[in-house]
Amino acid sequence: MDFYQGKVLRIDLSAGTSAVEPLNMEWAERYIGGKGLLLRYMWEEIPPGLDPWSEDNPVFLVTGPFAGTNVSTSSRLIVGCKSPVTGVLNDSYVGGSFAPELKFAGYDLVIIKGRAPEPTVVTIKDDVVSFLPAQPKYWGMKTSVIEQALRDDFDENAKVLSIGPAGEKKLPWACVSTDQYHKAGRGGHGALLGDKNLKAVAVRGTGAVTVGDAKAFLADLYRIHEEYVLTDDNYWVHEEGTPILVDLVNGAGAFPTRNWSDGEFEDAGKINSESFQKIRLKKRACYQCAIACRNFHGVEQGGEMVQGEGPEYETIALCGSNCGIGDIAALMKFNELCDEWGMDTISSGSVLGLAMDLTEKGIRDFGVRFGDVESYLGAPELMATRTGIGEELALGSKHLAEKYGVPELAMEVKNLELPGYDPRGTFGMSLSYSTSDRGGCHMRSYPVGDEIITGDEPADTMEGKAAYNINGQHYSSVKYTGIWCDFWAIDFNQMSQLMKHVWKRDVAESEMEQMGERVWNLGRLFNLREGLTAADDYLPELLLTKPHKRGPSAGRIIGADTFAEKTQEYYSLRGWDTSGVPTEEKLAELGVDVRL
Amino acid sequence: MPHVMISRKKCTGCHMCELACSAYHEGAYRPSVARLFSECNPTTAEIKGHTCLQTGCAKCQEACPNDAIVTKRITVTPKGFFENKEKVGDSVEGYVLVVDEEKCTNCGECYEVCPTGVIHEHPDREVAFKCDLCDGEPQCIAFCQNKYVYAVDLKVDKKDKELAKA
Repeated sequence: MDFYQGKVLRIDLSAGTSAVEPLNMEWAERYIGGKGLLLRYMWEEIPPGLDPWSEDNPVFLVTGPFAGTNVSTSSRLIVGCKSPVTGVLNDSYVGGSFAPELKFAGYDLVIIKGRAPEPTVVTIKDDVVSFLPAQPKYWGMKTSVIEQALRDDFDENAKVLSIGPAGEKKLPWACVSTDQYHKAGRGGHGALLGDKNLKAVAVRGTGAVTVGDAKAFLADLYRIHEEYVLTDDNYWVHEEGTPILVDLVNGAGAFPTRNWSDGEFEDAGKINSESFQKIRLKKRACYQCAIACRNFHGVEQGGEMVQGEGPEYETIALCGSNCGIGDIAALMKFNELCDEWGMDTISSGSVLGLAMDLTEKGIRDFGVRFGDVESYLGAPELMATRTGIGEELALGSKHLAEKYGVPELAMEVKNLELPGYDPRGTFGMSLSYSTSDRGGCHMRSYPVGDEIITGDEPADTMEGKAAYNINGQHYSSVKYTGIWCDFWAIDFNQMSQLMKHVWKRDVAESEMEQMGERVWNLGRLFNLREGLTAADDYLPELLLTKPHKRGPSAGRIIGADTFAEKTQEYYSLRGWDTSGVPTEEKLAELGVDVRL
Repeated sequence: MPHVMISRKKCTGCHMCELACSAYHEGAYRPSVARLFSECNPTTAEIKGHTCLQTGCAKCQEACPNDAIVTKRITVTPKGFFENKEKVGDSVEGYVLVVDEEKCTNCGECYEVCPTGVIHEHPDREVAFKCDLCDGEPQCIAFCQNKYVYAVDLKVDKKDKELAKA
């Protein structure tokens, strides 16, 4: 069948066995692939109420129908699970080249269950799946080292998905890495793989992805790229990449600074796009992406050359300004350390910023202070290995702040640390964070796009923001079935032009929009089934009630009452009841095929 | 002689060229059978392009005991823009080396001598496969589509003129 390989690979780590089964094509048609397919499989594969740390909790590797073709930005892989951090669904996206290689090996989806008795590496060469002991050689390796080791030992063209030492130690924000700089960062997948004793999956595929008439598809894609992807409007992604956001967000007073105590950072100019362009060595791309947004930088730090991709905006915000760091070389080094130890930078910077805050306030001396480079650069290893202060920091923001009796200082939703936009400077982000299906996240809906970047929406009102976030969540949900990356602002019409090749029929734009709503509601049902309630759709109170004293967002405040009112408006517009539960009418209208 | 080159400095490692190449020749996306490839180290970002230099090299042709590597006249007209376009123009006349599958015995002599590693045994048929410039519209150039990159380029060297005279 075209675009899909029609196969699911099941890996049972407890037994050390693998099996192949047909992909459920009924689900693939109803939910396309990517996020939709992940959620449908999660519904089926995860017993309701399962302890996320149970060995039965699966980790899913999910592709989209366009992985392994020339469709720009669609090389993305989802690492999915019921998150041990949030207790709800988690779909974490990563670029690079793993997903296409998995398709060439013949699989749309991998379901990893069980717990290996000893640390293990899994290799996949087309239809041959092998289990290798990870000790003594691979266990303990940092991410760039294990990638090279597996290219040397297994296959020079292998694509490697791995955890770093942080994952082995089950750090809650341990991530999953591929192609060294690409991370499925959020939600603790690295910790879960560490718990499963799975150090890495290496894949080599030599097969084909069929698309029907390949020459006709090539011709149409050439046009689609010219008309929609490589447009003047979209080239900022290539020319600057995400660091472009630093000046914009800082200028709006929404740049998290010193554990969110400020929305404007005095040294933002030292870590903005202009500063990064001065140390840029090269442009890099994910597999099958013509845009090439990645920046490869090089800078001298502490007498050595630090080279690598990134940091991206969220890292600059959380590990830069939020830690009071305006030293670009130190930031580059910190990013490299997080990459190598295998940790999400958003949570790393957020937790460290909190520890600095607790130290500065005299609540608990962690020996780290805002702007102090030496202790800052020592922190990643301590967190990853859970030694020294790392032992306590591994609690994560929420539990660390609670431990010291200051829960208001933790910037998290559903126990997931918030990314780099302070809602006091961009009101719409309040609902974006609180209603995000995986906790504190900016990738489900993005009011920043119009409240800050285009300025088309006022940033200091909640009027219209419930509807705005709903639309954004539908858009991202269908986008992540494709899987299309956020750096192609693909619209429903463009999606339908591509889906026409998959479904071999005309596709209406409205089908794409409804697909987004269907997937979002399926995710809500899953989360409710796992115990989520309306009380979990919260925002840190401080962001609602304590205005900044200075800067562009000074004095602005959403207010707890307005926020509660807008949450109800959000539920109502969604066709959910006042407890945030989708109504039967809504589910039937959308064609969601499961019920609580 | 027209041939394709990948710029080590400009290539971003997106592999769009390999994908398009395989789709054009194999009727499906299968980059392991692409006629060119970009060797990328994900950590260091070092790139090495592997493309066929056609008649400018011709080591495969010299090594072939069966005269299965044939010099064929070709007009190359890449789709879209490419870096060298202003220099070489819209269209380039010249020669390309193609595999005559009737004559090829898959003896492997050419696999041994190719300096860029771009002639191999086909995984499904017992013959060699190599770059034929897509019958004049190289898909690798077309799909190196980002105007700030244009890493896959059409080059021309003077050896063709000698061939043309002969």
